[in-house]
Amino acid sequence: MKHAYKEILFGKKKYILIEILLILLMFMVLFLSGLAEGLGRAVTSAIENMDADHFIIDDSAEQLITVSSIETEDFDTVASIAGTNAAPLDIQRMYIKKAGEDEKINMTYFAIKPGSFTEPSVFEGTGLSESSAPNPILLDDDYKLEGIELNDKVYDSSTDIEFTVAGFVDDEMYGHTSVGFISTVSYTALREALSPMYTPKYHAIAIKGDFDESALPKGLELVPKQEVIESIPSYSAEHTTITMIVWVLIVVSAVIIGIFNYILTLQKRRQFGIMKAIGMTSGELAGIIVSEVCIISVFAAVVSLALTFAMAAGLPETMPFYLTVANAVTATAVFVVVSVFSSLLSIVNISRIDPVTVIGGGEE
Amino acid sequence: MSEKKLELINISKSYPDGQETRLILDDLSLSVAGGEFVAIVGPSGSGKSTLLSIAGLLLSPDSGRILISGNEISGRSAKERTLLRRNHIGFIFQSHQLLPYLKTVDQLNLVRGKKTASDINAYELLSELGIENCANKYPSKMSGGEKQRVAIARAFINDPEIILADEPTASLDASRGRSVAEMIRDAVKKRNKASVMVTHDTRILDLADTVYKLEGGKLVL
Repeated sequence: MKHAYKEILFGKKKYILIEILLILLMFMVLFLSGLAEGLGRAVTSAIENMDADHFIIDDSAEQLITVSSIETEDFDTVASIAGTNAAPLDIQRMYIKKAGEDEKINMTYFAIKPGSFTEPSVFEGTGLSESSAPNPILLDDDYKLEGIELNDKVYDSSTDIEFTVAGFVDDEMYGHTSVGFISTVSYTALREALSPMYTPKYHAIAIKGDFDESALPKGLELVPKQEVIESIPSYSAEHTTITMIVWVLIVVSAVIIGIFNYILTLQKRRQFGIMKAIGMTSGELAGIIVSEVCIISVFAAVVSLALTFAMAAGLPETMPFYLTVANAVTATAVFVVVSVFSSLLSIVNISRIDPVTVIGGGEE
Repeated sequence: MSEKKLELINISKSYPDGQETRLILDDLSLSVAGGEFVAIVGPSGSGKSTLLSIAGLLLSPDSGRILISGNEISGRSAKERTLLRRNHIGFIFQSHQLLPYLKTVDQLNLVRGKKTASDINAYELLSELGIENCANKYPSKMSGGEKQRVAIARAFINDPEIILADEPTASLDASRGRSVAEMIRDAVKKRNKASVMVTHDTRILDLADTVYKLEGGKLVL
């Protein structure tokens, strides 16, 4: 390690150039993976953030909450077993309008039972159950960018039902639209206004903790949250594509380190020959190479992590960027490990150097 | 004379040369005692380098035996030979062959650590060679003579029994070359090493105790 450190320090200029390249590559990888995760979250965050572990949906719905339908009696059956660990959920894509404006704004209603575990905590304003307004709504903070403020009135564009903005919540999106949380009562009113024949039903029942599947009413199934997320249309397709790109980039950057290291090793074949002649073992030489790659890649990883998080802090709200420390660290750790593996190429090369070449003028 | 430190007994080595095989070393024997400074001369292609490589355990002979301080070395594995080189043989190469990114002290410490018997002080060795002021310099900051003296120090640092020098004066002018050769001789005498120097610099041959000429695969006085 010390040897490699001294060598890098001596060849600063060369290694700084390599570092810059790697930092840029790693930064691109991390930034892209943040965007990928962010895009994914734009489809699913309202479900992901919900404090539920399972969803009960109708078994012909193919795990899609929006096409599932659950009778109120079935909900009562489930609720009689799970108690407050069961809560109804309806998801409906609609439009809203601001007071006095005609422009439609995308909105996905999440109809929930106020005060239940499905209600997100507000960072501004009050929760649905504490609000005194007739039809309170909790909005994702993206709506602030539309100029909507606390206690504003918004209108459902097809029924003109009036909602009062009771609070704002953070990072709640579904299917690329921002979410507004309303009560099941408001939702029923909405549906009744759309169609007088409407009889109250639920899309799904959110379950906190576990639920005994044998106790499920007929025709319903218990689906883990992760499966529900993966079944959201377009989520899997988008997510796998972008995740793939990110991993390919990570591996490519690591292999680039390996190639750089290989070129440097080729230049130093003679030095390695000398070291072998004076009695350094192949193990020691391999140690020098591995520690050199470790130093270079760990340094690049740390700097690019710092850069990425610094930049993420300065990004505008609307940019779908979401990078957890765990994800970023996993990506960089994989990068470091793959780089070390790619240095095996150099190790194989030096293990083949015959130290006898250094005797007698030493032309190779 | 003290005991034999390096013994080559009936060494033969041949190389393929086109369709034929060429016999480079023909049943050659050489023994060098502690404190003895042997010079080997010969035209290029006569096998000087091959002989030095075999003595330095870098190359295995086709037949014959090698003894270091009376211990049989022939037939040891590559890994064992590497450690033998490290602990029992000091190399001085043609042109210094120092690592450009290490300061003198680090060059010397590069191969230390595995040896338990001796603990030569690097600074003492450097001042003995008159280059204590180079202890913290990189090779690029030193003159050719200084670099070759650092290389000599590197050869002695592990207190080996044998010192092998491959044209140590080739990259130096006459006076520097002579002073480097004198230094090798003095260090060899003082530390009682067995030393073999391959050279074609006839001006330094008077410094050697014995001068052999390598001809037709054999050593002649």
